[in-house]
Amino acid sequence: MIEIRDLRRDFGGIRALAGVDLRIASGERRAVIGPNGAGKTTLFNVLTGELRATGGAIVLGGTDLGPLTTWQRARLGLARMYQRNELFGPLTARDNVLLSIGSLRGAYRPFRSPGAAELEDADAALEQVGLIDRASVPARALSHGERRQLELALALAGRPRALLLDEPTAGMSPAETERIGSLIAGLDRSLTVLIVEHDMDVVFRLADRITVLHEGRAIADGTPDEIRGDRQVHDVYLGKAVEA
Amino acid sequence: MTVEDALQQALNGLSFGALLFILAAGLSLIFGMMDVVNLAHGAFYMLGAYVALSVTRATGSFWAALVVAPLVLAAVGLVVEPLLLRRLRGRHLDQVLITIGLALVIADFIRLRDDWGWGATVRALPFPAGLDASIDLAGSAYPTYRLFVVAFGAALALLLYVLHRRTSVGALVRAGVDDAEMLSALGVDTDRLFTLTFATGAGLAGLAGVVAAPVFGLQPGMDVDALIYSLIVVVVGGLGSLSGAVAGSAVVGPADTFGKVLFPQFALALIFAIMALVLLFRPTGLLGRVRIGR
Amino acid sequence: MRIRVAIVLVAWIALATFPQWSSAWESSRYVAGIIRQVLIFAIFASSLNLLVGYAGLPSLGHAAFFGGGAYAAAIVAQRLGTDELLVSMGAAIAGAALLALLVGYFAVRAVGIFFLMLTLALAQMVFALAFQATDLTGGSNGFSGVHRPALFGLDLSAANDLYLLVSVASLLVGLLVWRVTTSTYGRALVGVRENERRMRALGYDTRTLKLSAFVLAGALAGIAGALSAYEFRFVSPNDVALGTSVTGFVMVLIGGAGSLLGPILGAAVVLLIERVLPSELPAQTVLGIVFIVFVVFARQGIVGALRRVARA
Repeated sequence: MIEIRDLRRDFGGIRALAGVDLRIASGERRAVIGPNGAGKTTLFNVLTGELRATGGAIVLGGTDLGPLTTWQRARLGLARMYQRNELFGPLTARDNVLLSIGSLRGAYRPFRSPGAAELEDADAALEQVGLIDRASVPARALSHGERRQLELALALAGRPRALLLDEPTAGMSPAETERIGSLIAGLDRSLTVLIVEHDMDVVFRLADRITVLHEGRAIADGTPDEIRGDRQVHDVYLGKAVEA
Repeated sequence: MTVEDALQQALNGLSFGALLFILAAGLSLIFGMMDVVNLAHGAFYMLGAYVALSVTRATGSFWAALVVAPLVLAAVGLVVEPLLLRRLRGRHLDQVLITIGLALVIADFIRLRDDWGWGATVRALPFPAGLDASIDLAGSAYPTYRLFVVAFGAALALLLYVLHRRTSVGALVRAGVDDAEMLSALGVDTDRLFTLTFATGAGLAGLAGVVAAPVFGLQPGMDVDALIYSLIVVVVGGLGSLSGAVAGSAVVGPADTFGKVLFPQFALALIFAIMALVLLFRPTGLLGRVRIGR
Repeated sequence: MRIRVAIVLVAWIALATFPQWSSAWESSRYVAGIIRQVLIFAIFASSLNLLVGYAGLPSLGHAAFFGGGAYAAAIVAQRLGTDELLVSMGAAIAGAALLALLVGYFAVRAVGIFFLMLTLALAQMVFALAFQATDLTGGSNGFSGVHRPALFGLDLSAANDLYLLVSVASLLVGLLVWRVTTSTYGRALVGVRENERRMRALGYDTRTLKLSAFVLAGALAGIAGALSAYEFRFVSPNDVALGTSVTGFVMVLIGGAGSLLGPILGAAVVLLIERVLPSELPAQTVLGIVFIVFVVFARQGIVGALRRVARA
């Protein structure tokens, strides 16, 4: 579903991505882990097109994403849940989600207000992430955990084919983490999911396969058990996490 | 166009460029430090010219005006910044709006001051004695005042460069342009730094007004013209840096001059075309560090 | 909702028939003239509000489309030798929209303060054009002798007829703006204002969205321009000057950006300051000071202040 070949991204002299190779099958749950500075966020930014790749290729469902802009990639079904919430502050949760849905149905309808079907879809999306009771609350008035839920709802409401989750449990309490974790675990298998995470419990629970990034390269790639047993990974990353 | 004509126009372009530099330097400085596009910059320029008018009439000395007018404008800046801009720290667009209001007030003030010998009538400032003649350059007469402008602009650029790069004040300014928040966290009184920067920018605009007045005269609308030119210069050259102001004025000055001579109907279009091209292909401006678009 | 619509309609009917029911009042004609001008500028300010208040595009060059529309209406009417409203108004809308497309194409490549600078500079180019193209526009002397329009032969040159035309136009524009701002398109514009990055990640081509808003706002400004040409029978470079752009901006802000009523209130306040203030008091100075006061203390304008009071 997602194929990343020798992806490179340089910032001046720094090679944030030094040739990443990834192949993610359709419906797979792939976790990308690695120490800070390994290039995880850069990878996401290059995938969505917010950063241009310096080299290499990205193929989504057979389409080369190279020449496409961020919004064009989004229209192809690539959705992202940001690490730092990118919400529409003064708008209500419902209005936030309506914007996501509106993208599907076209932005140029200057005389039509959101119809009943759209409102239903919006409420369904809020229901799915557990925010239906807070639908009329402005996004900036929501708690941090609720905002993460809304952030996820925005990504899901667009009915994507591929979902990029950038540290979905960042800053969450154990209860909130549990809830988001169940949510993600329960997502339909028609959706391909790529997760960047630091919380190892979440990673081992959700991932079918794990890729370990270090200094801009994938140094290991396998099932959770394989990664757990990998010596190199242990030295580079997991060792630190276990000791910390 | 003969060689002599071309030389004349080249010098004209150079002197116009020098003037643009003095004008744009202040705008670039204020933006670089405070992230505020001072839309009152043209009004400051205008006020500088009119103050120079009064000072010259009162003292008979252009040189006195050259000193006093920038100081008056700096004083205005010293008052305006803490009074109006400081309370809107962080709200950059709103600060820009304030400068719009300020520009309205200043321009109207000048327009109504008939009793001061200002007002809406077109006024002239005579060339200073000693610079009111022409000298023979490559076979044709060239006004010495324009040569003075070139020299003055160059000297000012040099002075600003030295201040910017070789003094501790300059270091503070450079740091402030780079990251004012960090500077504040390090204990530097950024409020005062901002006020001083704004005052300096205003003073430079006033200085440009004095220098330009004998050549361009004084009339309503000169503030808008100056503002537009200074905006184009910083967009082309790059916002936020002195070298950007130099680069921009070096391009716009000659381009405008030659444009007006070669195809007067489209001279302005040429300048705007340059600006549009820079924006499309080099959004940071020729030497700038700030991205104007995406 | 129904009640609100009813109130607006009743208010509009009262406004539209003002010359009739106030005819006994000796200042009636004078006040009607003021109201006409307020409505014309209310249309101008409403169009700018689409950009500033909804799409978050701070344009300081909107006069280019106001004056552009005015010139287009005047020039086409003269060249084609017709007073037909549909022709000159059509020319105004088309001309303003085309100009907005040209300017907007470059302007939307910039964001925030840079967008402001760019619109300012590009509009000045239009100003310079109006000044220099003397054969077409009359140059600095302006274009005088503009005829008041006729609708299918029905002469609308009488003050009261023009008053009705302006009233109807402002109602139509008001309805249009209302529908657009509450639609999914309007929501998308607000989305671009609040978080353009997110909108792009959601699949919106934000640059084209912004351009479309720019063109729509320009076209509506052109309508105001044509009405202004009819009203004053005169178009000058002043109509495309920075001063007019700034005045529009001031109207939007003082009234309340991002609200429907704001631009109308703003237009009324600004015009009252400019026209009704005694000539000894400096109108532009007062305006500048009022503007500064609003930016500092009442950023959401009159509407915003009223809302705050209503909530307290």
